[in-house]
Amino acid sequence: MRLLQAALAAAGIAVASSAAAAPDLTGFWNLAFERVDPPADMIADLPPNTVVLGDTGAAEFPRLQFGGLKLTPEAQAHAENWKPEDEMTLQKVCTPPSIVYSLQGPFPFEIDQTRDALIFRYEYYDQIRVIFMDGRGHPPAEAPHTKMGHSIGHWDGDELVVDTDHIAASTITNNGLDHTDQVHMVERYRLSPDGKRLMATQWFEDPAVLANNGARFIVWAKQPGQHVNPYECDPSFVLEYQGIGHAEGN
Amino acid sequence: MQVRTPFIIGAVMLALLAPGAARAHHSFAVYFDTNKNVTITGRVAAFRFTNPHGTIVLDVTDAQGKVTQWRAETNAPAVLVRRGWTRDTIKQGETITIEGWGSRDGRPYMRLRRALDANGKLIGTAPFGQQDTG
Repeated sequence: MRLLQAALAAAGIAVASSAAAAPDLTGFWNLAFERVDPPADMIADLPPNTVVLGDTGAAEFPRLQFGGLKLTPEAQAHAENWKPEDEMTLQKVCTPPSIVYSLQGPFPFEIDQTRDALIFRYEYYDQIRVIFMDGRGHPPAEAPHTKMGHSIGHWDGDELVVDTDHIAASTITNNGLDHTDQVHMVERYRLSPDGKRLMATQWFEDPAVLANNGARFIVWAKQPGQHVNPYECDPSFVLEYQGIGHAEGN
Repeated sequence: MQVRTPFIIGAVMLALLAPGAARAHHSFAVYFDTNKNVTITGRVAAFRFTNPHGTIVLDVTDAQGKVTQWRAETNAPAVLVRRGWTRDTIKQGETITIEGWGSRDGRPYMRLRRALDANGKLIGTAPFGQQDTG
């Protein structure tokens, strides 16, 4: 009997049983360009002093507008001195943003799900993210920080809760407001009852640049049969931008 | 039990959000003016089909015969391919019409909303904009 149990465990029976109890988020998800009111309980679960941004998807903030985020004086000064043309260089144009910004953009992603980890593969800059579900904690503070950060997750009922830190400094709103490598992010994912929509709140805090906390509500639509395309960013695009107006003639 | 302060739906819904085409590495709102519609017809000098953006280089001749070279930035080709575009969709030397949002700095630069071939037929399966589906 003991041998049988060991064989079942080796064959992953326990894995299948546990995975079956959790919602299946597997699939190709593309931003849903439709108005969906956030479920009240998802918003109520956000920590105090949080502003929900409205820049999800195609919308963006113009320069020096941040949707209710309260910037520290240092962050405000940085934003005021930020020059968009400084981003259009060969060195910077293909530098991927962190997950804080790229999560809400209108590019699709795919999820592969097992009991011990979920893999999020984003089309945007070919970024890949692992959500560890095996009970581990975050690495020590001095561990390397990356654009995707270090993510650990658990199921809270039917919601996937993901806690991410060790995120390398990058932009929050793509208009001069940057977070530090001390930013901390918590996402809560929920499937719609029919399984065709994936909803999430993305909450983040970074006291070094923000006097309050930020959040976004994001909805993706499932599109079976599709896959993320390669991004393979080519920095020579910048040469086109720099060539504007230089080739006029008669 | 934790007492929560009311969250705030940011003034963002009232703010001057730019509901532009899918963003990539740089901010649409910072570079392009959603109130500045541009429509031009010209001869294709070059077509670049690489991420983060494609680029259409268009030689536009005015009534006096002066040629101005415009550049139109497209959505990421990763997005374009889902609208039926390929790297051969636009060919050097052909005449096309492009519509889009003009640059804020007034240079001959725009963000592509849609492109029409010489017969006025839409290139690709759908224009780009608020209803982008990636």
